[in-house]
Amino acid sequence: MSKFSLRHMLDLFLQLMTFLFSSISFLTLGAILVFVFNQGWSLINIDLIRYPYESTTLLGEPIENQTEFCLCEPNISLGDDVFYSSKWGIGLIEGVDLLGQASIQLAYIHPNSPLASLNNKGIEGNEFVLLPEYLIQKISYNDRATSLARRGVERMINELESSNSIFEIEVITKGGGIGGSIITTLWLIGLTLLIAIPVGVGAALYLNEYAKKSQFANAIRSFIETLTGVPSIIFGLLGVAIFIPFTVALTDATGGNLISGALTLSVILLPIIIRTTEESLKVVPIDYRNASLALGASRTQTTFKVVVPNALPGILAAVLLGIGRIVGESAALIFAIGSIVRDEIRLTDKSTSLAVHIYSMMTDEPANIELSSTIAIIILGIVLVLNLLIKFISTRIMKGKIGGVI
Amino acid sequence: MKKIFDTQNLSLYYGKNQALKNINLTIFEKSVTALIGPSGCGKSTFLRTLNRMNDLIPDVMIQGNVWFGEISVYDKKTDVIDIRKRIGMVFQKPNPFPMSIYDNVAYGPRCQRNYGKKELDSLVKEALIKSALYEEVKDRLQKSALELSGGQQQRLCIARALAMNPEVLLMDEPTSALDPIATAKIEDLIVELKKNYTIVIVTHSMQQAARISDQTAFFLLGDLIEVEETKTFFATPKDPRSESYITGRFG
Repeated sequence: MSKFSLRHMLDLFLQLMTFLFSSISFLTLGAILVFVFNQGWSLINIDLIRYPYESTTLLGEPIENQTEFCLCEPNISLGDDVFYSSKWGIGLIEGVDLLGQASIQLAYIHPNSPLASLNNKGIEGNEFVLLPEYLIQKISYNDRATSLARRGVERMINELESSNSIFEIEVITKGGGIGGSIITTLWLIGLTLLIAIPVGVGAALYLNEYAKKSQFANAIRSFIETLTGVPSIIFGLLGVAIFIPFTVALTDATGGNLISGALTLSVILLPIIIRTTEESLKVVPIDYRNASLALGASRTQTTFKVVVPNALPGILAAVLLGIGRIVGESAALIFAIGSIVRDEIRLTDKSTSLAVHIYSMMTDEPANIELSSTIAIIILGIVLVLNLLIKFISTRIMKGKIGGVI
Repeated sequence: MKKIFDTQNLSLYYGKNQALKNINLTIFEKSVTALIGPSGCGKSTFLRTLNRMNDLIPDVMIQGNVWFGEISVYDKKTDVIDIRKRIGMVFQKPNPFPMSIYDNVAYGPRCQRNYGKKELDSLVKEALIKSALYEEVKDRLQKSALELSGGQQQRLCIARALAMNPEVLLMDEPTSALDPIATAKIEDLIVELKKNYTIVIVTHSMQQAARISDQTAFFLLGDLIEVEETKTFFATPKDPRSESYITGRFG
């Protein structure tokens, strides 16, 4: 047969196509990752967890009509980008807040600065200390026009230097942290798995071990198949219609809350867990069941002592799929627990998961793509860590059984 | 000799297929009964009717009865778990559980009630000694049973059945997956066990049946053709079909 026969050409063509398509899928996934990391990496910062989401505005005025100036030089070397006012002893820097917005940040405060601690205006006798992380909104003076942050750091420093008497300083504490959303997400993972795993595994055991061939089991199975394809927003409606009233009636919740969110997610997870578990039960050799029954074990003993331990890796795979689904779910959760970002997490209160946090950031005006990408990286990180953890547990289980043969 | 099993007009259907046809067979205590015949003749199916393992297969219908001593095996009031406690079974493919050797042997007793550690230890040891495996595994009882060789695994399965202290051992071609040396060990074991247990063994090997059994039953297409003392059966088979099978004309 010649090298350029039709068959040869066709083979080559098909081979090329498979290569091409696999490259396309690989490149697409790679491009998404590159985009997310490129956008979000710069904002990855421990501060995202350290600081609350809510920032507070503090209005400070100098303690006792300050006329002494600092007139001091910084006792550490400041970067080139820090503008320093030796009169007041503070250095300012052009910065970004946690949300990625341009702002003026305090970079340095001299210990002798008259502004080191300020009276909290409106609250008598309450002082606060200026911290380097605070953002300066505006400074008002008694002897000249107010300087605003949006006019730039250089101008603010010049105005500060030319003034002899400060009326008040408006600062914002650092906000934009996502710690609350991370905690909500972890709560959701824990609660949902706590509900969905026993129910799902139990259902799968019933279907595969007890009701294998019955009409009823077949009906349930096809029902579950259908549920897998239902869009999650419909489950969200279910959460609003059933779980929110349910939790409101039983707890002190007043609206959407973490528990109703976890219940809604459990319903979304059930079909996945039932199907994955049933698959893993099916591959447990029938020999094990026969051996156990022939030894005078009851069916239930056989199921829980032999079948379930052997299906554990599969059940863990179901848990893994479940975690992925919980972390990734947004549509249903917007209904079931709301999209309000919170710092203090209460089970019976609205809060938001990381995925919905992204939704909130992207529906802001303007959409905050950088912070969304940062959250995306954190979600990827959480999924990766949980994934590795479960793989580790799963191999440990297998090793215990096979005794190092595999 | 005392009868232990007595089947009366036992017929079994898989759906519409009749796999056993009016079997009347008596099995005696503390002896080895070999069930032989070509593939698909119903010998394994017959073995599984004795401890009701066919219950697990859907669409099985059984007529007639099996007497196990004074117990009617297929009576509705009969406790199937009690039957299986008293009738142990060893399968064709060694099927130890993926657990430690110790846990495998202790599995049956543990399913019945809670044992103290010492009691269980001596039970496991005794069962392993009876199945001639103890010397080989005594230092690694906590190791996985799947690390054992095929022959050791099969003896472990015998030990697992013996731990229940049964009256009968049913063996479904226990050596068909093993090499000749492992087979010889199991055969020796069967001869040894016969002193205390009744053994019913399905085998494809006529030599094996001749070597270890006291009574041989020949099945063909669901019929019990002939049942006879082993020596007599192989020396002077009565039925021409038995003779053809023994002399290798079919099967």
